[in-house]
Amino acid sequence: MRIELKGLKKRFGKVEALRDVSLELPTGSRTALIGPNGSGKSTIVRVLLGALGADGEISCDGTVVGEDRGEFARRTAYVPQVAPRFAAPVQAVVRAVAASRGIAPAAVEAIARDLFVDVDALRQRPFRALSGGQRQKMLAALALASGAELMVFDEPTASMDPRSRAAFFAAVERLPAATTVLLCSHRLEEIRRLVDRVVVLEEGVVKWRGETTDWLDAHAEAVVEVRAEGDVAAAWLAARGFARGIGGWWNRALPVAERAGLLRDLGRELNGQVHDVMARDVERLDPARRPESEIP
Amino acid sequence: MKLWREVATVARLDFAEVLRSRWLVFSLVVHAVLATMFVLVGLRESGVVGFTGMGRALMSWSHALLFLLPLLALSATAQVVNQARDDGSLELLLANPISRTGYFLGTSLVRAIALCAPLLVTMPLAALVGAAAFGQDVPWDFLLRGIGVSTALLLCFTAFGLCISVLVRNQQKALVLTILAWVAGIALIDFALVGVMLQWELPPSAVFALAVLNPVQCARLALLSAAQPELSTFGPVGFFLANKVGSTGLLLLGLGWPLLLGLTAWTWSLGSFRRRDLV
Repeated sequence: MRIELKGLKKRFGKVEALRDVSLELPTGSRTALIGPNGSGKSTIVRVLLGALGADGEISCDGTVVGEDRGEFARRTAYVPQVAPRFAAPVQAVVRAVAASRGIAPAAVEAIARDLFVDVDALRQRPFRALSGGQRQKMLAALALASGAELMVFDEPTASMDPRSRAAFFAAVERLPAATTVLLCSHRLEEIRRLVDRVVVLEEGVVKWRGETTDWLDAHAEAVVEVRAEGDVAAAWLAARGFARGIGGWWNRALPVAERAGLLRDLGRELNGQVHDVMARDVERLDPARRPESEIP
Repeated sequence: MKLWREVATVARLDFAEVLRSRWLVFSLVVHAVLATMFVLVGLRESGVVGFTGMGRALMSWSHALLFLLPLLALSATAQVVNQARDDGSLELLLANPISRTGYFLGTSLVRAIALCAPLLVTMPLAALVGAAAFGQDVPWDFLLRGIGVSTALLLCFTAFGLCISVLVRNQQKALVLTILAWVAGIALIDFALVGVMLQWELPPSAVFALAVLNPVQCARLALLSAAQPELSTFGPVGFFLANKVGSTGLLLLGLGWPLLLGLTAWTWSLGSFRRRDLV
C-alpha cells in the first residue's frame, strides 16, 4: 500500500500543527516519524486515520482518500500509544474489532498469546482493568491479526516488558513484505528494530528524512559498561575515557560507530580481567552533535 | 462493511459497556423503587383530581417521572461521546472500518434502549402487580398514555444529552450544561409561565405556545389532560386548552413535540459529529 501525503496543513487555533507537510510511504516501506512533543507526529497520524481534518491531500495507491474512508480503514490498522479505557470486557472489545474487520476473534487471541497475554484469564475482565502493558499487547494483537496493508504504530511497546517487546518485534518482522509500516516513536529500540527510514518533524515541518542507520549514527550513542578488576585494567580503562562507577563498574559513552572497535579491543587487551560487559544505545541529547543538515 | 453491521458491532460493544458500568441496573432500581413506592402508597389513599386507586397511583408516578426522566436521560448520555473522545476509545474504534454514522447510530440506539427498557418493563409490571395485590382494575388508557408520553420525553432528552456530548468537549462543562438543561426544563414548567402571565398579561394562546416549547411541560399537559380534561388548575389557559386543543390534541402534542425536538437535536448532533475533528 503506497501512501502519499501532499501539502498537509493543520491549525489548532493559533497553533500551526502542520505546515505544508508532504510525505511518501512506498509500498512495503517502514518509516518512523520522530520529533519532540508537539512536533506534529500524532497530528499526521490522526489526519491519516481520518480523526482530524486538514488541508492537503492524502492518496492511497494513487487514489485520493475522500470522505468515504471505509475501504481505506479496512486496509489500515492502528496501535495507539494510550490504550482506550473501555469498561466492556476484553472479549467484547476483541469481538467488536474482529467483527468490523471480518476476522475471527481466535486469530486475535492467538497473536495475543504470542505476546504473552493470558487471554483465557483476561477474557471476562473489563478492558480498562488490564495493566497498561496488557492493554497495549491486546491492541497490538488486534492490529497484527487484521491483515492490514498499512500498520500505524504510535509508541507501540512503551508499556511492554522486554520479553513481550521482543515478541512484538518478531511479529512485525513476520508481516508480509508488502506491508507498509508507519511508526511514531522516541524509543531507539523501536526505531532500530522496526523501521528502515526516518522522518524528523519539528514544529510541524519535515526537517530531515533519510535512512535509519544514518539517523542512528547521528543521534544515538553507545554506552559501554565494564566490570573489571586489577590495576592494569583500571589504567587501561581510564586511558580510554572510562569513568569509574560503583561495584567495580566502569562506563563510557561513545559514538555508535566506535562501539564495535572498543569491544574488540576490550576482549583483546583485558582478556581474563573483565568479568562483565554491557553495551546499550541511548539517544544523544547534545544538540551540538546533530548533523548540520538538520539544524534549522 | 454495511451500515447496519457497523451499527450492530458498535451496539454490542456499547451494550457491554452499559452493562459493565452498571448504569442499566441503577436505572432499573430507580424505576422499581419509584414504582413500588407510588403503587403501594397510592393504592391506600383516596382519590385526587378525579382519579382513584390505581389511576391515581399511576398519575402520581407519571408526574414524578416527568421530573426524573430528563435527568436520567441527560446524565446517561451527556458524557458518551466526549468521554470516548478523551479516553481514546473513539479514536481506536474509528480507526477500524466503522463509520462515524455507524458509531453514532449504534451508541444512540443502545442508550435509548437502556433508558426506555426499565420504564417499559416496570410501569406495566407495577400496574399488574398492584392490580393483582389490591384487586383493582388497571386503567389501560392512562397507562398507555403515561408510557407513551414518558418514552417520548425520555427519547427527547436522550437526544439532548447526546447533542451535549458531541458539542461540548470538556466533560465537566457537559455536566454543568446537563444540570442547567434539566433545571431549565423543570423550572419553566410553572415559574416562567406564571411570570409571563403576570408580567405581560399575554393571551392564553400565546402562553400556551410558549409553554409547550418546553417538552417537559408538553408531556405534563398531555398527562394532566387525561386526569382532568377541563384543566381547571391552569385557569384561563386551561380553559383555552380544554376547548381549543382537547385531550387528544394534547396527547398528540405530548408525543409529537418531544419526539420532533429530539429528532432535530439528534440529527444536528450526527451532522456535527460527522464533520468535526474527533480528537
